[in-house]
Amino acid sequence: MKSLLATLALTTALTLPGFAMARPVTLTTILNNYGGDGAYLALYVTDTSGAYVGSLWMAGGKSKYYEHLSDWYRATGGDTTQVNGITGASVGAGRTLEITLDLADALFDAGYTLHIDAAVEDMRDSPNEVAVPLTTDGAGTPVTGRRYIASFAYDM
Amino acid sequence: MKKTLTLLVASTALTAAIGVPAWSAMQAPSDFLRPVAALFDDAPETMPLVLASDDDDDDDDRWRGGSRRGHDDDDDDDCDDDDDDDDCQGGARNPAPAGTVAPPQNGLFGNGAPPQVQVN
Repeated sequence: MKSLLATLALTTALTLPGFAMARPVTLTTILNNYGGDGAYLALYVTDTSGAYVGSLWMAGGKSKYYEHLSDWYRATGGDTTQVNGITGASVGAGRTLEITLDLADALFDAGYTLHIDAAVEDMRDSPNEVAVPLTTDGAGTPVTGRRYIASFAYDM
Repeated sequence: MKKTLTLLVASTALTAAIGVPAWSAMQAPSDFLRPVAALFDDAPETMPLVLASDDDDDDDDRWRGGSRRGHDDDDDDDCDDDDDDDDCQGGARNPAPAGTVAPPQNGLFGNGAPPQVQVN
């Protein structure tokens, strides 16, 4: 009974945002000049309990490196279907990645958190490089990453 | 009598000298004959290669972060190369790039415009 409720809650949490209205949201990620190769970035969302909900973007097309995006990899098991259609190239040092996505309104002010895992060849992996709550008030406010990301912001 | 015995021993030795290598050339010698067969085997490449040490100096630890997980710069024909083909058999498939298929139905996306990306 408990597991049935949990399943229902989970499916509801996953389904409800899909019925809601959506709006274009621009995610801007500026990388530091860390002096390495292109960074792999995984942008994904967790819910209020910290459970993985879904991915928003994957920068870097080779799945063999995804295990270095360790938090994302742990949550998804490296399932590449999670990032089908939302995958682009890795991002060079000092570059700015700007992604515009049509995101559900229900994602904002509902306790969801956007995370970014980062990894660079020859350099240390950086899981949870950025973790920012998705709120309408937080839109446009830059957040600094821990290692490779100079700043991240989302604009609506 | 002594001469006959000597002839028998000699012929037996000759037969063994010729027969054992011929036998060894046959497939799947029995275990107890394997050491003997190996002595006469003219295909030594079938013997297992035993490495005394795997402490080579190739640069295998290019992706860091706790463990060695998949990238090297040696020239072997594995799936760690940096070319753009997807020739890694047996591993996870690479995801479909943006624009080629619709985003996943994970409840995060609306049904509007496809993702747009720009790198400056």
